[in-house]
Amino acid sequence: MGPWRFLISRGGQYAIVLAVAISLNFVLPRLMPGSPLALLAGVEPSELTPEEREELISEAGLDQPMIVQYFRYWGNVLTFNFGTSFRMNEAIGDLILERLPWTLLITMTALLLSSLIGIALGVLAAWRRGRASDVVSLNTMIALDSTPSFWLGMLFVALFSVTLGWLPSYGAVTPGAQLAPWDAFVDIAAHAALPILTLTILSIPGIFLTMRYSTLSVMGEDFIRTAQAKGLTNTQVLSRHVVRNAIVPVSTVIALRLGFAFGGSVVIETVFSYPGLGRLVFEAVSSRDYPVMQATFLVFTIAVLVANILADLLYPRLDPRTRT
Amino acid sequence: MTPKPPSPSHPKTTGIPTVSFRARLAPRELTRPAPRDYTRLIGIVGAVIVGSLVLVAIFAPLIAPYDPTIRAGAPFSPPSAAHLLGTNDVGQDILSELIFGTRVSLMVGVVAASAAMLVGTAIGLVGGYFPRVGSIIMRGVDVVLVLPFLPLLIVLSAYLGRSVLNTILVIAFLIWAPTARVIRSQVLSLSRRDYVTAARSMNARDGYIIRRHVLPRTFLLAIGEFVAATSAAILLESSLSFLGLGDPLQKSWGSVLYWAQARGAFLTPAWQWWVVPPGLLIMLAALGFALLGYALEQKINPRLRRA
Repeated sequence: MGPWRFLISRGGQYAIVLAVAISLNFVLPRLMPGSPLALLAGVEPSELTPEEREELISEAGLDQPMIVQYFRYWGNVLTFNFGTSFRMNEAIGDLILERLPWTLLITMTALLLSSLIGIALGVLAAWRRGRASDVVSLNTMIALDSTPSFWLGMLFVALFSVTLGWLPSYGAVTPGAQLAPWDAFVDIAAHAALPILTLTILSIPGIFLTMRYSTLSVMGEDFIRTAQAKGLTNTQVLSRHVVRNAIVPVSTVIALRLGFAFGGSVVIETVFSYPGLGRLVFEAVSSRDYPVMQATFLVFTIAVLVANILADLLYPRLDPRTRT
Repeated sequence: MTPKPPSPSHPKTTGIPTVSFRARLAPRELTRPAPRDYTRLIGIVGAVIVGSLVLVAIFAPLIAPYDPTIRAGAPFSPPSAAHLLGTNDVGQDILSELIFGTRVSLMVGVVAASAAMLVGTAIGLVGGYFPRVGSIIMRGVDVVLVLPFLPLLIVLSAYLGRSVLNTILVIAFLIWAPTARVIRSQVLSLSRRDYVTAARSMNARDGYIIRRHVLPRTFLLAIGEFVAATSAAILLESSLSFLGLGDPLQKSWGSVLYWAQARGAFLTPAWQWWVVPPGLLIMLAALGFALLGYALEQKINPRLRRA
């Protein structure tokens, strides 16, 4: 398959995913029992006079045929008009832009750290395959993979914030504090430290396991034997031949994690009351703020798609064999 | 990190350059044969963990010291002889909550994973055995795989409402896709075998070939997938319950943690008996099923993981 055909078929697939997500958003509130008015306008129909109800229904366009409503919904989504939040009475687009930087800060930092640590440990474990250090790190990673993220976060708060008092336990900044630029930076870093630590620890196993497996399979290749035969030291073989080849599949895993890291932030931000997108989802769910839920779900879908496209573009750059 | 070169077995009589010394030893260092196979041990550990949790779930009313729904003591009491893990904010015995919670957590995991296995196997079977229809179906599977997992789970459960059945449905809806993929690749390879071609040449019907040649070898694989999916489902259930989206009437390990978080248990010494034990149980259950699933898959088809 030529590169263009590949890109077009992938692009088509991603367009379908986006369409499915948008359609799910449209269909779900209309399928649920009860009046969609409660789900779409945030009011209980029984609390209204018939006239008010009529007015709201025509305002929300619910008296139109389904197909008209569907296309109108698409128009709104494509112009980033997500409506207003029931609870906060604020345009949802603004709300998302306000929260997005915090989520980006913790997820991207955690992704960077966990990639570095996961790759380094993965190579080391593969190199010492079958020895005590490999067995111990492999088992630790498998156990970490089964650890509920929110629980680890709660333990960190109990340990680092409450018992030791080193780090703040909630929020992204000290409320109401007027700080000099450097102190403000330290304040933000201190608040982000525990969420980042939790996210990092929990992202390491996936990267570690892929890197370890990938390194092991590269080490069995003939060109490694050749490199050894021509007299390179083990360190040279490792850095020039093994790691460079082994890192290719891992880079895809990392790019894909980029999208799913957003989703994982829902639970972590809830534990630390961190004011990012994930916390916004939790707040919307607890107060039944459906438009906010829908909009954030779309943002998460777009994040995953962007990550996938990035992986598709990255792969041929790293592995010339897939270039045609 | 360079492995220490072992002492040469013979004295260096001639001036053999170090290069050839390394060249002789290092490849063996790099391509050392696989170490001892721990699959059996891993499987036994997994089976013991899963087995004990199942026993706790079955005999919960006999083991639990109190009814977890009644006020058994003063609220927020620390561990004592009467309440080994203390009591929660309304005076319920935490140990009893956890013992009964085993039932909900395991049931949601097992039922959701079974449903996902049935759907995934059926779709994988059709997708693999009929390649034309299959490629279209697998496009659909790819779409499900790309949707953001946890946010979709949260949105669906928020709309459907909080009940055990809805939790099971939502989790099953999201975890069948990987199973469908694995099963499909197995069916694809099976249906190209010579004996299938032979059966076809003798005019065997598709239903017969699937029953006789494809299903028996796919079934074992599906069981391995099922056990691994249970591990994922248990973790997902705990996340949902922690976010307050679980059944309010059925306590699971995740919902014990939800209340611990809501009442700020981790800001007081209570985290030691209110936060640590439920998390350990979730971890243990997820780990037990993951280990068991890994061992089963290795036993059934050691090569599949590479494909």
